[in-house]
Parts: sequence; C-alpha cells; structure tokens
Amino acid sequence: MRIRLDRAKCVGHGRCYVLAPDVFEDDERGHCVVRKEEVPKEFEEQARRGEQNCPEGAIALVD
Amino acid sequence: MASVIDESGRVNLFHEEFARCPQPAYAELRRRCPVGRMVLSGAPIISRYEDVLWALRHPEIFSSEMELQMQLGTERPMIPQQIDPPAQTRYRKLLDPHFSRRKMEELAPAVARHARELIDGFAAKGECEFDSAFAIPLPCTAFLHLLGLPLSDLSFFLELKDDIIRPHKGRPGVHPDEFQSVRSAAGARNYDYFRRALDEREARPRDDLLTALSRAEIDGERLTRNDILDICFLLLLAGLDTVTSTLGCNMTYLAANPDQRRRLVDQPSLIPGAVEELLRWETPVVAVPRVVKRDVTLSGVELKEGELATLLLGAANTDDEHFEDAQRVDFERERNIHAAFGAGPHRCLGSHLARMELRVAMEVWHERIPDYAIKPGETPRFSPGIREALYLPLVWDV
Repeated sequence: MRIRLDRAKCVGHGRCYVLAPDVFEDDERGHCVVRKEEVPKEFEEQARRGEQNCPEGAIALVD
Repeated sequence: MASVIDESGRVNLFHEEFARCPQPAYAELRRRCPVGRMVLSGAPIISRYEDVLWALRHPEIFSSEMELQMQLGTERPMIPQQIDPPAQTRYRKLLDPHFSRRKMEELAPAVARHARELIDGFAAKGECEFDSAFAIPLPCTAFLHLLGLPLSDLSFFLELKDDIIRPHKGRPGVHPDEFQSVRSAAGARNYDYFRRALDEREARPRDDLLTALSRAEIDGERLTRNDILDICFLLLLAGLDTVTSTLGCNMTYLAANPDQRRRLVDQPSLIPGAVEELLRWETPVVAVPRVVKRDVTLSGVELKEGELATLLLGAANTDDEHFEDAQRVDFERERNIHAAFGAGPHRCLGSHLARMELRVAMEVWHERIPDYAIKPGETPRFSPGIREALYLPLVWDV
C-alpha cells in the first residue's frame, strides 16, 4: 500500500496525524506530512483511518 | 417544526426551538429545500453536505470579504477570517504555526489546572449553572494564557465580548438602535487595550504570542499595528463564545443521555472521539456567512451575485448522504468528516485549541463529577446563532 497526498488540498485539519500517528505527521503549520510513502503492513489499518477521516479528501491509498 | 420552517419553506434560524434542537429542521431542509431562503431577508441558506463543502472550498465564488464587519464594532476586516486568498494565505502561513496541534497541546496542563480550580469553587455545593460557572470562564482563561495576558483581565474581556456579541445582555432598558454604539464603544476599548499591550511588548519583549506578532514579518515586511489589532480582534471574538457554546452543548447532551456519559466515565479514552462526534451532532457554530461573488447554481437553485449566503454547517454534518447512520450519536464513529470547523482555506484557525480545551474540560469534569443531571423541573435555554446553553442548571450528589 502506498500513500498519495495532494498537498494543495490539505488545509491542516490534522485528523490524519492524530488518528494515524505512525503513518502521518505534522509540519510546522500543522499540515500533513507522509512519514513513509510505502506503508508497512502493520500500519495499513491506521493509514485507512487517516485517509477516511480527511475532510478535504487529500489522501489517497494505492495498492 | 412549522415555526422553524414555514409553509413556503422559509427558514427562521433565530427560532428558540431551532437553537435547542436543530437536527429535525436540518433533515427537513435537506429534503425539501437544500437551497432554501431565510424569512424576512430571503437570503439563500444551503444545507447539503456536498453543497456546503463545495462553497467552503471556493472562496472566489463564496467570499468571506463582507461589508458587515461594522456590526461587530470593528473598524476594519478581521484577519484572516474576513479576507480571502491569496492575501489570507500569507497571514495563515504566519499564524498557523502558533495554533498548531503541538503548540496547543503545550497549553493543556494550564487549561486542566484552570478547569480544576473552577470545579473546586462549586463541586461541594452539588449544583451549578454550567454556563456562568464553567463554560464561560474556561475558554477565556485559555485565551489569556495563549496571548500572555494577565488572568486579572478576565472580567474585562468577558464584558467586552458580551458588549460586542450580546449588547442586549444586562441592558434591559436599552433600545436596539443603541446596540451598535455599545458595540463600537467595546470595539474601541478592545483596540486600546491591545495597543497598550503591544507597546509594552515592544518595550520589553516576552515569550508570548503578542510579542511574536509584534516581530512577525510577511515577505520581509513587518505586520502593521493595524494588522495585529485586526488579528487580536478575531482571536477575542472567535476564541471565546465558540468553545463556551460547545461545552454547553456537550454537557446538555451528556446530562440527558446518562448511558453515553457512563461510557465516557468508564472509558476516558473515548473522550477524543466523543468530542468529534458531539462537534458533528451538535455543531454549535450552526452556520457561516459568505458573499456570492458571481451567479452560481447549487442543487438546481441559482444564487445571484451579491447575495449573502448562509452555509448551514449543522445540516451538512447530519447529512445521511455523507455520514453512515447520520442521526445516531456514535462516539466510536469510524469515519467522521464533519465540517464543524469549516473546511477549505478558512478552516478554523483555532480548531486545535478548541479540540484541546474540549478534551481537557471533558476529562477533568468527568473525573471530578461523573454523575450529574439537569436540575429537575428546569429546562436549559439556548441562544440562537451560535448555540450557547445560556442557562444550564446541573445537579449532582455530594
């Protein structure tokens, strides 16, 4: 599983790095940064929660 | 519900029933008139999630730049709320780091301390009026802490924001025509206060937000004194009533739903999820205004350039098309993409501050007073507009 982040859509709701802290983190402005584009198996569930809960639809998961 | 939405589909957002329990009216609006019209003004009111979110993400069509700012005692637009990209983006780049989740979490211990002190003041009595005893003072102390202002100025700020937001409060004999002068006078006191506070920091810098703002630069240029005053005005107006109202909505819900409350008490790890779900379900900031910049069609209805549109965040957040089991309050909801803090470029600057305050307040309160109820024989009263529980009498065993 890979993560594709559309940085232009991110406005810093911060849901991803709160709900999926092993997959996402925040930059200085509180916008999303992807920790590792290739998601380790054990964090796939987290990645899904982060993707589902982005109100801007800025996160996509690709298998 | 006829009184909130009349036979011709006109909506009265200022009806008390709507402030107390808006969800049935939201459902009717989405179904009958997704782009409805307000009573009296006839201004458009937008209630479907898809339409509301689209409008929030298109500030070039649904603009935040409006002529109404004088109604709030301001002399210029509040920054960054009442200006649009690209200018707004430059201010957000500057301000966002000061309101990031990380920064706000640093304030959590101080907020928890204030919350405990407030509860110490009334816990032994077995009752309180929640709004005045807890919901109003807590966000104000957090605001003072954030800006680096003395707690002794609490009552000054509480009076100030009431004069601006509720000029009728405590002035039974005053005619509504005079409210505007009450607001302007309060606005002038606010500007004066922050001018002095900024003078002090320029003379003697401190480790606080006001000092940071007084030194901040955009593209190599210092913010002007007016820029900083216009930011401070927004922080005051946006940062206090909103969290106050959310605390009141949450406690009204939890007092009326003891099973849900017991789950939070038994399992405090559910609190962050409960905060999100109650933001969705209660949506205390019911709506945000936008000016239509050019003719546009939403849900088959044409909106005209120059109209003042109301985006009904509360209706969007309870839209069955976008939330599974939308009419059920579920603290463990897997997908919660509510827009209680708006969306798009104007996403609430203070959302991480609000979330921290709400979480800490819910944790501290339920640790100290796990079992409570609305005082028998009493009914909570809510204000229209922003849904503040103006009167919320709670009782518990001591």
